[in-house]
Amino acid sequence: MTLLAARGIARRFGHRVALEPTDVELLAGEVVALVGPNGAGKSTLLAILAGALEPSEGTVERPARVGWVPQRPAHYGRLSALENLRLFAALERAPAARADELLELFELPSSTRAADLSVGNRQRLDVALALLASPEVLLLDEPTASLDPAQRARVWEIARGLAASGGGVLVATHHWEELEGKATRTLELVEGRLA
Amino acid sequence: MKPIALVLRKDIRTLVRTPVLLAVLFAYPLMIAALLGLVAGYANSKPRVAFVDEDGLPSHLVVGRHRFDVAATIAEVSRNVRLVRLSPEEASRRLDDGNVVAVVTVPPGFVATLQEMVRSPTLQLAVTRGGTSSRVRQQVQALVYSLNRKLQRAYIDANLRYVQLILHGGDGSFLGEQFNVLGLDRTARELRALPQDERVRAIEHFVHDARLALAQTDDALRATAAPIALTELPQRGRSASLSAEVQSYALGLTITFLSLVLAAGALAGERDENVLGRLARGLVSPGRLVAAKVALAAVVATVLGLGVALAFAIVTVVGHAPGGEPWSRLPLLATGLALTGAALGGVGSLIGALAREARTASLVAVLVVLPVVFLGLIPAEIFAAAGWASDALPFAHGVRLFSATLYDLHPWGAVAREAGWLAGLCLVFSLAARAAVRPFRP
Repeated sequence: MTLLAARGIARRFGHRVALEPTDVELLAGEVVALVGPNGAGKSTLLAILAGALEPSEGTVERPARVGWVPQRPAHYGRLSALENLRLFAALERAPAARADELLELFELPSSTRAADLSVGNRQRLDVALALLASPEVLLLDEPTASLDPAQRARVWEIARGLAASGGGVLVATHHWEELEGKATRTLELVEGRLA
Repeated sequence: MKPIALVLRKDIRTLVRTPVLLAVLFAYPLMIAALLGLVAGYANSKPRVAFVDEDGLPSHLVVGRHRFDVAATIAEVSRNVRLVRLSPEEASRRLDDGNVVAVVTVPPGFVATLQEMVRSPTLQLAVTRGGTSSRVRQQVQALVYSLNRKLQRAYIDANLRYVQLILHGGDGSFLGEQFNVLGLDRTARELRALPQDERVRAIEHFVHDARLALAQTDDALRATAAPIALTELPQRGRSASLSAEVQSYALGLTITFLSLVLAAGALAGERDENVLGRLARGLVSPGRLVAAKVALAAVVATVLGLGVALAFAIVTVVGHAPGGEPWSRLPLLATGLALTGAALGGVGSLIGALAREARTASLVAVLVVLPVVFLGLIPAEIFAAAGWASDALPFAHGVRLFSATLYDLHPWGAVAREAGWLAGLCLVFSLAARAAVRPFRP
């Protein structure tokens, strides 16, 4: 079953073409790896699939609940991890208890300002934020770059669990070796085109 | 509405957690207001006026048997302007280079002409263009008016002496010439001694009428010299520092700074935090995000504006200022503060949307505040373009709204007009900010 389908999506920033017209499909039960060098357009593709960025052309069909972890931290630095989780839970119309649950799951300090957290903890917070709405599709943009091995394993465990329960996961990375044995399919993006 | 409320609550929570920033945002405009007050005070300080005495004025002068203290009169003038005694050449040079704003010249023969009491002697005034020249011109005119009032009694007394001579007869002098006048009283007596006939009775009748008429000359002469008299009543009204104008400007300046800087920084801050993409995913649209920043500006403007108003109110009540504090108008003032804050929030949001980062947005907002305020302070009758530009910005409308709200006897016309302007400006700037919000860029 197709969970997410993008047809002919392209993105330009001024005169610069970040993504050539591209078709992408994500099926239920898949963990798809999106690989490519820096600047290939992986983050742009994921942002469009997540609905964070409008494509210059093309269409995207996505389910109601999509989780997205952007490459750079995307939360409020002056709020604590718990406050961030509760705020976005309210915006996502998710129950407040889900915020507490994820805080515990990712072992995040509740009262420290997010800006004062370590880089790894900030990345964990972003993953937790992506899971607030119990998504059917999870889009991860270099999700493990700053995580320790234990946390990295936890993220992959969550991804596999989501796929096993009928969801789909698309992971962008340029660490091929990390995906060995985890991805069901691999897409390669080079200079804005799927190879 | 819920997403707007959630983002607003987040922004207020963030603001409360940075008390130093809040204190600076509150204290800075008050400091600017105080500095503006000092500058305004300096602008009202005595302008330098050159005084050229080409006639060699004595320290005392006698005109029509009245003695005038020339030195005291000059000292009186010095209350309003700073008189600098200069030679004609030096005064002319300093007027040209702007060192003095005016030159008052007492030409040769001034005193002699004055003492003759036949023609009006002339003082000459030369002023610079623009600046304080109109004020100096008014002050010199006021000086001449004041001198004329003092001299008026001497002139009237001198003229009345001539009238007395015509009435009663006797010795007199005019332009140094001595003469003797028969007078109407003696004329009447002479006429009665003559054989009575029709012609003598006609002359007697005329003399009778002339004596009656001239008896009224005293009051008539005084009324002719001053058809309208000005009487100054004992002082009333509150001090300038508590005036409606000062309160309105203090409120306007404080919330203009706060609302502009906060809205600009808060909207640009969303980009700095990299959350625009997350919010754009159907959680908070750009329009709602701008609305949240406009609401933030409105809330902060209302709370801190009421704080400033309350401070003025306490001073007014404690100091028993005339007119008292219009407590019943505070709810209306709160509405005005919210509306003005929202309009300024629209401007700030536009700056925040156009700026690449929060620091730039805040800096630009600070730079924008002062021209916005100064445009609102320039009277439209002095520079019409400033009035038009000011009409397109919320500051002046806010100030007029606060003034009307607090102290106008019938405020509704002004309140409705300015509220309409502010609502329109809020809508225009908010829509512009919405259009300027750039999409998330990975």
